[in-house]
Amino acid sequence: MDIIAELAMDTSNPAVFVNAELLGRYVGRKVRAVIQVIRNDGTAVIGKSTDEKQMIVKGLPPSQLTTFVEVIGIADGQNSISADKWTNFGDNFDTFTYNKLCQLANGEYQHLFL
Amino acid sequence: MVKTVTPGAVSAMRSAPSPDSPADVPELVVQVLDLKSTGTRNRFMFTANDGKMKLKGILPSNVESEIHSGSIQNLGLIRILHYTLNDIPNKSDKYLVVNKCEAVSPALEMEIKSDAGDLDCGILLKSKQEDETNSEVTVEESGNLWKPKQEVEVGNQVKTGPGIHLKPKQEMVAKSAAQIVHEQHRNMAPAARLAMTRRVHPLVSLNPYQGSWTIKVRVTSKGSMRTYRNARGEGCVFNVELTDEDGTQIQATMFNEAARKFYDKLEIGKVYYISRGTLKVANKQFKTVQNDYEMTLNENSEVEEASNEASFVPETKFNFVPIDMLGPYVNGKELVDVIGVVQSVSPTMSIRRKSNNEIIPKRDITIADETKKIVVVSLWNELATTVGQELLDSADQSPIVAIKSLKVGDFQGVSLSSLGKSVVKVNPETPEAKKLRSWFDSEGKGSSMDSVGSGLIASSRNGSRSMYSDRVFLSHFTSNPSLGEDKPAFFSVRAYVSFIKPDQTMWYRACKTCKKKVTEAIGSGYWCEGCQKNDEGCSLRYIMVAKVSDPSGEAWVSAFNEEAEHIIGCPADELNQLKSQENEENPYQQKLKQAIWVPHLFRVSVAQHEYMSEKRQRITVKGVAPVDFAAESRYLLEEISKQKAS
Repeated sequence: MDIIAELAMDTSNPAVFVNAELLGRYVGRKVRAVIQVIRNDGTAVIGKSTDEKQMIVKGLPPSQLTTFVEVIGIADGQNSISADKWTNFGDNFDTFTYNKLCQLANGEYQHLFL
Repeated sequence: MVKTVTPGAVSAMRSAPSPDSPADVPELVVQVLDLKSTGTRNRFMFTANDGKMKLKGILPSNVESEIHSGSIQNLGLIRILHYTLNDIPNKSDKYLVVNKCEAVSPALEMEIKSDAGDLDCGILLKSKQEDETNSEVTVEESGNLWKPKQEVEVGNQVKTGPGIHLKPKQEMVAKSAAQIVHEQHRNMAPAARLAMTRRVHPLVSLNPYQGSWTIKVRVTSKGSMRTYRNARGEGCVFNVELTDEDGTQIQATMFNEAARKFYDKLEIGKVYYISRGTLKVANKQFKTVQNDYEMTLNENSEVEEASNEASFVPETKFNFVPIDMLGPYVNGKELVDVIGVVQSVSPTMSIRRKSNNEIIPKRDITIADETKKIVVVSLWNELATTVGQELLDSADQSPIVAIKSLKVGDFQGVSLSSLGKSVVKVNPETPEAKKLRSWFDSEGKGSSMDSVGSGLIASSRNGSRSMYSDRVFLSHFTSNPSLGEDKPAFFSVRAYVSFIKPDQTMWYRACKTCKKKVTEAIGSGYWCEGCQKNDEGCSLRYIMVAKVSDPSGEAWVSAFNEEAEHIIGCPADELNQLKSQENEENPYQQKLKQAIWVPHLFRVSVAQHEYMSEKRQRITVKGVAPVDFAAESRYLLEEISKQKAS
């Protein structure tokens, strides 16, 4: 029984899709964002958000990072995230569409996401 | 759109009970009364009313969705495109079977009655009552309540029990049909009441059968004077687009004398009272405006400028598309409106028109909006010289420009081009302009902006053009079984191939030269009837049937060689080789399996086929393109914002 419970998806604490503009709204909460990696110094990554602003992602990035990375973690400032999950999204990514997604998912379609 | 019935529609149908095809059917708009469902789920019966006569009938099953969605309503108008009149056994009357129709207008305020109304009113109402199974009600009502000359029942038929008086919903003095139709569509605002003293008719109520009308319209577009020469001699002509207070538009044309008389008088943007024009059904080939009719003015027509009336007609209605959302419109039929801050204006260029070697002026302006994208708009002819010059002179002040009706092309990704009917407004006093101005003054001025075209993935010409126009879901085919009845209809759809039957005849033997089917020749080789020669070998070409699925449903489609190759991933000859390899792994089945659950963008044609004396819908794949997820996402974003707007 426990094993089955483990396999079920935990939807209790969804990560909010954010860009730089929206990040400030969710300080202290779990967020997810796709950033374009600008600089990686091993303890933090400086990236560009999908709405073209600077974002700092703290944590332990994986050894190999592609151009675009999705990070999931806690928003800990107006433009920084403390990430515990990093996923490489490759070198080709349509930031425009992702940005619109952030806007829609936090705007009138919020009820579908949170 | 016309919003009234075709007079004599019922008698027209009675005198031609079995037209062969929709081409033989004249204009027949009737009002739907007594709309109700029959026992069977998707059949609805109704009474067709043309203002004078009525006819009981039944609607085709394929309008079920329109009835449920409200496009076809009781008391609304429909245009009958194809019908048959059947005899009712034991009765002298006929029954109208509508084979094809389209919605024209939602519910009108009440049943349309003809001018010879007063006496008919009472009779018509009584016959309505007779439909009720309760005769007690009939006697009571006709005795007590209905005073035909004064009171007219308004609204839907009310079903009541015995002994209950039907009170009219509104008491109105009996009016002529013309006035009823006229008032139906308006809220009587003070300005309108003033117009009423001149008895101004809304454009929507005009029809060829009513001669004396006056309209009050703004000239929203004016064509240039053209001269022509035909068998009858020379002449000159120009046309204008007129818009009235409700936003209804109609094209008006003037020839020769009338053209000369009114060309200078009719100025764009000014409001006029116009009467004594004639109406006729619009020539669909040349239609630029959404109206079933077009108007002609002759020398006897009256055109009077309405100079004293204050802001009459709502300004040109804009429906702006943000620059970064222009992608899906590229090379499509739909025209767009845009608003932006002018970044640069080019000098006038002279372009030679290929068709007639005429030289026409053109000017390119670059505009930007809050999406931080820029796009180039090409202004042609008068727009290039007049407004274009104005913009050049004031370019350093970064004027805001709003443009209506632009064609979207694919030059440098996305480009906009003006048409004769395009309207340009400089620094308009609209909320969008104000927002744009404040954005530009605060941040836009300094920011770097990209061309909208550069961000778009450039697909092949065929791909980007057709895969985003006429986009539907598969349910559109299954819920409209008579699609493509007259001539094939084309659509694009994104779907997964969900099933390919392994044991179908998947290919035919084809002539290597002309691709036609070959037959086995006596001896060896193959004979091609078309080329009239024998060949040792032949090639195999696909004739495949497959099932496709999307979130709305599924459908069977046929695919021929090129398209099937895309779907399966190899030519028919190769697949045949795999098939003949009968080993454990069964590579043939594997190949088919790999083709399943792959998403594609399909271009399809839908037509009707007779199969064993039954009409079947046939969907044929005309083109296949891989799904470009980034472009697809942008298309979805555009659809989402369209949904929001409506």
